[in-house]
Amino acid sequence: MANQQSPTPAEITIMSAGAVMIIFSFVSFAGDRSSWGKGLFPIATLLPLYGLIMGLQIALTKFASLDLPRSVLGFTWEQIHLALGSMAALMAIGWLLTDYGPKQIGMWFEILGGIALVVGAVMLQHERNTGAIG
Amino acid sequence: MDKLKISTANLVILVAGVVMLIASFLAFRTVSLPSFSRSWNAWSNGYFIISTIPALLGVLMAAHVALETYAPQVSLPDRVLGLTWTQVHFVLACQATVMMLAFLIQDIPLLDRGIGLFLMLIAAIALLVGAVMRMRENTGPRPFG
Repeated sequence: MANQQSPTPAEITIMSAGAVMIIFSFVSFAGDRSSWGKGLFPIATLLPLYGLIMGLQIALTKFASLDLPRSVLGFTWEQIHLALGSMAALMAIGWLLTDYGPKQIGMWFEILGGIALVVGAVMLQHERNTGAIG
Repeated sequence: MDKLKISTANLVILVAGVVMLIASFLAFRTVSLPSFSRSWNAWSNGYFIISTIPALLGVLMAAHVALETYAPQVSLPDRVLGLTWTQVHFVLACQATVMMLAFLIQDIPLLDRGIGLFLMLIAAIALLVGAVMRMRENTGPRPFG
């Protein structure tokens, strides 16, 4: 199984995006507030949390050989990654288009991270030959 | 009369989607000071489009249910990105609910939560209930037994 091999490009993309999003969630998002700051938490915190969940699932199964159930609520893990990635990208586009004052470095990295998550999730479909895309 | 035949789950989604859209035009946030009061809806500048996303998701779900029920001649793909439509409904409803709960918790200094926010939250929960009911009705994945 892929679990014992080195991470694939899709897995690296998701883990990196998740890590970057968590780190930059503590950097200015709008004004001088981070996405954990008053007035932004928790709506702006959803993006890094989605990245954390996706990155953590990959990291735990890859490096800690954690044995997770093959599906959750009828969804395979590949489908969960695609769903979370798509919703993260939707919120990223939402923040990109929302006139919430000058966008700070934290917001830009959350937006880029959200898009990277969906790219990673789509790559994961191809790598694992789920047949969902292409 | 067949055209009026709609499952309970789909009816819940349809009604919740309509309520969600209407609520999005009501006060999302308000400010009330002795000499000044104002309100903003989910489409107002500064809120559009991040606050509008739950409403758009609700409209999308309701539109799909309406097409599926009242316009069966319209051909829709069986799956979207490998997900069945029932799974898509569940994902969209979860997202709408999570976002509305986040807006409920969000504490913006001086601003109060408006009736539109509360109605959108209730509609989002109703969308989720409808999506779960739809999963249980269908022969596809049954997440809750």
